[in-house]
Amino acid sequence: MNGMKRHFSMAWRNIMRRRRRTLITAATVAGGLLISLTFTGTADWSYANMIDTSAKMGYGHVTVAPRDYFESPTINKRIHNCDAIRETVLRDGGVVDAVVRIFGQGMFATASKSVGGTMIGIDPAHDSAQRNVFISALKEGKLFTGADDPEVVIGMKLAEKLNLHIGKKLIYTSADINGEIFSGMARVGGIFRTGAETVDGGVILLPIDRLRHALHYGPQDATLIAAFIDDQRRAPEISSRLATRLRLKNAEILPWPQTQAELAGLISIDHASNVLYQFFVGLLVAAGILDTILMSVLERKHEFGVMLAVGMDPKKLFLLVLAESFYIGVLGLVIGGLIAVPWYWFMHQTGIDLASYIPEGYDAGGVPLETVLKMRLYWESLVVIMAGVFSLTLAAGLYPAWKASRIPPVESMRGI
Amino acid sequence: MDNGPIIKLENVTKVYHQGKINVTAIDGFSVAVDKGDFTALCGPSGSGKTTILNIVGALDVPTAGRVTLEGNDLADLSRTALSTMRRDRIGFVFQAYNLIPVLTAYENAEFVLALQGMPERERRARVMEMLKEVGLEGLENRRPEELSGGQQQRVAIARAMVTQPAVILADEPTANLDSATAASLLSIMEHLNISHGITFLFSTHDQRVMDRARRIITLRDGKLAGDERKG
Ligand SMILES: Nc1ncnc2c1ncn2[C@@H]1O[C@H](COP(=O)(O)OP(=O)(O)OP(=O)(O)O)[C@@H](O)[C@H]1O
Ligand SMILES: [Mg+2]
Repeated sequence: MNGMKRHFSMAWRNIMRRRRRTLITAATVAGGLLISLTFTGTADWSYANMIDTSAKMGYGHVTVAPRDYFESPTINKRIHNCDAIRETVLRDGGVVDAVVRIFGQGMFATASKSVGGTMIGIDPAHDSAQRNVFISALKEGKLFTGADDPEVVIGMKLAEKLNLHIGKKLIYTSADINGEIFSGMARVGGIFRTGAETVDGGVILLPIDRLRHALHYGPQDATLIAAFIDDQRRAPEISSRLATRLRLKNAEILPWPQTQAELAGLISIDHASNVLYQFFVGLLVAAGILDTILMSVLERKHEFGVMLAVGMDPKKLFLLVLAESFYIGVLGLVIGGLIAVPWYWFMHQTGIDLASYIPEGYDAGGVPLETVLKMRLYWESLVVIMAGVFSLTLAAGLYPAWKASRIPPVESMRGI
Repeated sequence: MDNGPIIKLENVTKVYHQGKINVTAIDGFSVAVDKGDFTALCGPSGSGKTTILNIVGALDVPTAGRVTLEGNDLADLSRTALSTMRRDRIGFVFQAYNLIPVLTAYENAEFVLALQGMPERERRARVMEMLKEVGLEGLENRRPEELSGGQQQRVAIARAMVTQPAVILADEPTANLDSATAASLLSIMEHLNISHGITFLFSTHDQRVMDRARRIITLRDGKLAGDERKG
């Protein structure tokens, strides 16, 4: 055996000599790995979930919208040539779907009461439960079928406030592009309930052509085109690609963090605190590992003294002890990995239902929360976490290794 | 230099500080050991035998006085140079428990040669021959815990010998051995001393060991109390 090979072989035998303690230390590493994977995985899953839900609430992951629409949305701001733009957007490899929508404010009234809210004009031929949270949250009735259908879909809270049921009539009132007041009558065809109070109490869906007509929009006009992509993290990249492809003068292409700034803010704060929390867990784990390795080094003073006395270079002894941390790190990752696979499988597929811990009607920046907590790990995160946990274990071995290399060789002469 | 003493201590003093108390372990001790000597260091417990061996072996530094090994003043050498000198010029046999527990007899014996970077084939030939010489043939793959005390000491002797050092320093090499084992260990040491010309300096309490030494240096309270040459 030579050089490095000898060191690793000795290190391996050393940690196997203290099998029980090695296993406990490796289990600490594995625990750190699992905690980190779980926190990152559940956070990434909830972020992705919230972002997807938010996208389904109207704007998509990437939005083609009139310039400055999100700074001051007015009914006059609109894009033209919707179908042509939609076709181009759909041709992008990263885009899975794109739908045309009109957004406007209005008053909704019955004979006795009236309530203000948002009108969303959608095309039932293109929109679906997969792209629209209101459709997926339908609790009663059904979605209108034609683009000019006289039915509307309203939120459950709104229905309660106005005392509406399926089949009942309501009047919506707003102003068109010329500033003229218009109103229309519709029948409640469906009622949805997302769980987020603000939307359940103030959103109605109506056929896009009806709204177009009422607003005096052209046949190819709409507020925006909401594009859906498979991985929300690619939104900025796809936005800029679409911007160069479309070259629109009066419209801009925005990724979700710009159209849903409040949610993006919440997520980045949560992410930062998550990283900080994991950092502290990491420190605790590292302190535990350091303590065990240091103890094992101090117990072997005599043995290390002999090695130094017979002429071993202290630097080599340093590496020998560091190699023990290396193996503990590897063992920890293997043990952690073996537990992580079924754990991740369960958390990814089934998850834990937290419904009883989340208050009714709770939302994050207007986005309804999923009550089942699941995990989603990106490969990049997995690699970063594994490398981080491993480096931490090595780092925890640095001080004990240094300590070993500083043992006075005269220790070898002392009896034990 | 070739004809001068291989080990020379001049007025060596070692004071240990134990809290507020100063313990003078060695007190103005001078001695010279010639090449090829087979010398025992005797004296009652606490007289300073181990301290002398530590200082000669560059494991510890004297408080005052001069130590030279093969003509080199140890005070002039750097830490690294001292480490290299221990590796290449000195063989150590400590009282007990001085093998590396996770290595086999063979690997323990080859340890220092590997540190020296000797190629594997040459190493193997030398180690096998040395293990045979100390009577450990067939036990190469045993761990220290699978060897008796005498066998362990023989592995330690093999490790110390196999590099063909100038000096072997042994601290009570027979202390934990029964008399038969002690006698055979001593025979091996004598044989290596005569056939390889290696200088031995060892401490002992044991009258039977002293009887076989060719020179006996006696210590008392860290001072030279006797220096007797036989034959
Ligand atoms: N590290 C130390 N700190 C303080 N005092 C020490 C230390 N090492 C040795 N001494 C003291 O120095 C004196 C000489 O000790 P040393 O170990 O050299 O004696 P020794 O002759 O080898 O004894 P023994 O036969 O018991 O092994 C003793 O009084 C001992 O207590
Ligand atoms: Mg002693």
